[in-house]
Amino acid sequence: MNPSLIGVTGVVALFVLLILRVPIWIALVCVGFFGNLTVLGWQGTFALTGTAPFDVASSYTLSVVPLFILMGEVASESRLSGELFKAAHVILSGFRGGLAVATLAASALFGAVSGSSLANAATMSRIALPELRKAGYDDGLATGCIAAGGSTDILIPPSIILVIYAAIAELSVPKLLAAGLIPGLVLTVLYMAIAIAVVHVRPDYAPTETGFSLRDRIAALKEPWQFLALFFVTIGGIYAGIFSPTEAASIGAFGAIMLGLVGRRLSLREVLTAVENTVIVSGLLFVIVIGANLFSFFIVQTHLPELLLDGARAFNLSGLMVMILIIVGYILLGCFLEGIGMVLITVPVFQPLIVKFGYDPIWFAIVVVIMVEVGLIHPPVGMNLFVIQAQAPDVKITAIYRGIIPFLLAPLVLIVLMFLFPGLALWLPKLLYG
Amino acid sequence: MSARTRLAAAADHLQRIQLWLAALALIILMLITVADVFLRYMFNNPVRGSYDAVESMLVVFVFNGMAAGFFLRRNIVIDLIDQAVGRRATAVLIRMADLLSVVCLGLLMWAMLGPARQAFEYGDRKLELNLPIYMLWIVALLGLAGTIFCAFVTLVARPVTTERRSAE
Repeated sequence: MNPSLIGVTGVVALFVLLILRVPIWIALVCVGFFGNLTVLGWQGTFALTGTAPFDVASSYTLSVVPLFILMGEVASESRLSGELFKAAHVILSGFRGGLAVATLAASALFGAVSGSSLANAATMSRIALPELRKAGYDDGLATGCIAAGGSTDILIPPSIILVIYAAIAELSVPKLLAAGLIPGLVLTVLYMAIAIAVVHVRPDYAPTETGFSLRDRIAALKEPWQFLALFFVTIGGIYAGIFSPTEAASIGAFGAIMLGLVGRRLSLREVLTAVENTVIVSGLLFVIVIGANLFSFFIVQTHLPELLLDGARAFNLSGLMVMILIIVGYILLGCFLEGIGMVLITVPVFQPLIVKFGYDPIWFAIVVVIMVEVGLIHPPVGMNLFVIQAQAPDVKITAIYRGIIPFLLAPLVLIVLMFLFPGLALWLPKLLYG
Repeated sequence: MSARTRLAAAADHLQRIQLWLAALALIILMLITVADVFLRYMFNNPVRGSYDAVESMLVVFVFNGMAAGFFLRRNIVIDLIDQAVGRRATAVLIRMADLLSVVCLGLLMWAMLGPARQAFEYGDRKLELNLPIYMLWIVALLGLAGTIFCAFVTLVARPVTTERRSAE
């Protein structure tokens, strides 16, 4: 059988397995193993299957993943995140919708120490949602802000998904972490603009707020210092070339624990809970990366990207058209795949294709992560929406769906901006690393 | 106490031990790296072998950290089909996934035996720590064996629940 046809069959089999509720890692291992078996034969496949788990588990690059997860878990467990939200509330008060904007700002700042969108949405649901509801905000707007704000977490460094993306696509982790920063900030501003616009159109969604004095606002500025310090030391350290990502992540996790313990914002029990959660989440991510390794090797062997390239040429498709098709594909995939799975399944297929069309792989990585963000928040299966509902079961899922819809415009506008100004993603990595 | 309950209790105990082994490895990994950076920048005297230590601790972390996830059935799945097929069929699919977990983990372990034996025969060592690499393979295989046991017990002795969970 033609290798490309085997590749297509493998991809179809993968989706069938996923729809049949087979865990993502098993689907990747099964398709990767049997696919490689067809292309390489028993000996090569067995050797690959035996070495891939050990190679992944002893990869210095991937040691960043549990450390960044730990940093986010500690920040989530501690009272630092609550203080951060209160500070954002004071600083951004005094106008209708101020608390919604403050929630988005706090989410972005929380994203500077956390790499998981779901952790961000869960933390902000716990902290900001009761305040928003107490202030009289519409449930849809309140939950929409939290879901959207949470999604910026995977763009703003540290981002777990960007580290895993770098490992699977063989890109530089520091470059990807640099590339995500500006689009993450732009997206936060776009979300804020949408929150303000929603409140302008529906004033009944948000009450008028009394503002705090300038003195209070300046005083509140000092509250988020721990978050900013952690961000500047860790991500700043990577950008400045002082630390490797693993060193920065270690210092960040250690610093978060110390800040929490010394400032009495975190008990030893909470540290242990954070470590326990980190072990479970990381273990599950690593097993997926092991599966993705086998799958990705299979895709390379089948020359599937070349088949897609030939197909695009046969239909006279331009690079832009191919990118648009890929983006539409990601929107559809986001309806039933979760973020990491989406990246690990599609990147081995799409990245070689778009590189052939002259697009920068770093730029493409950021586009993919933005599309993953869309998948995290768009109905019917956006995971952030379910996380929020799990934290606030009395909020109807229909209200959450209604609330998130206006915010879906922001990542799509950001994608257009990324096409118009690729420098949004490429300027900072170029400035820092040439 | 029935055999199933005893099995479940044994697996629960094992996954807890593996979880805390993984946690310990993570903390050592973090502390070694912090100490390395501190000593390098403050005293120009980095921790010798820190790179090897990070890689070695990561092996301990990954292969022991998986057990809890399998025991708690926390693997990431696409559960859109649940509403379409009903509870009973969902339970069957979950059991199928449990079975496939055991088979796939067993396949990985079987395939890993060859490279582990080669690591022992060739006597490769970590460059800075001079640690024999086969020892890490042993750690990996033991961790994986524990994970397979937990996955097996989940298959035969744990009731099916249909909660939505994700690891991301």
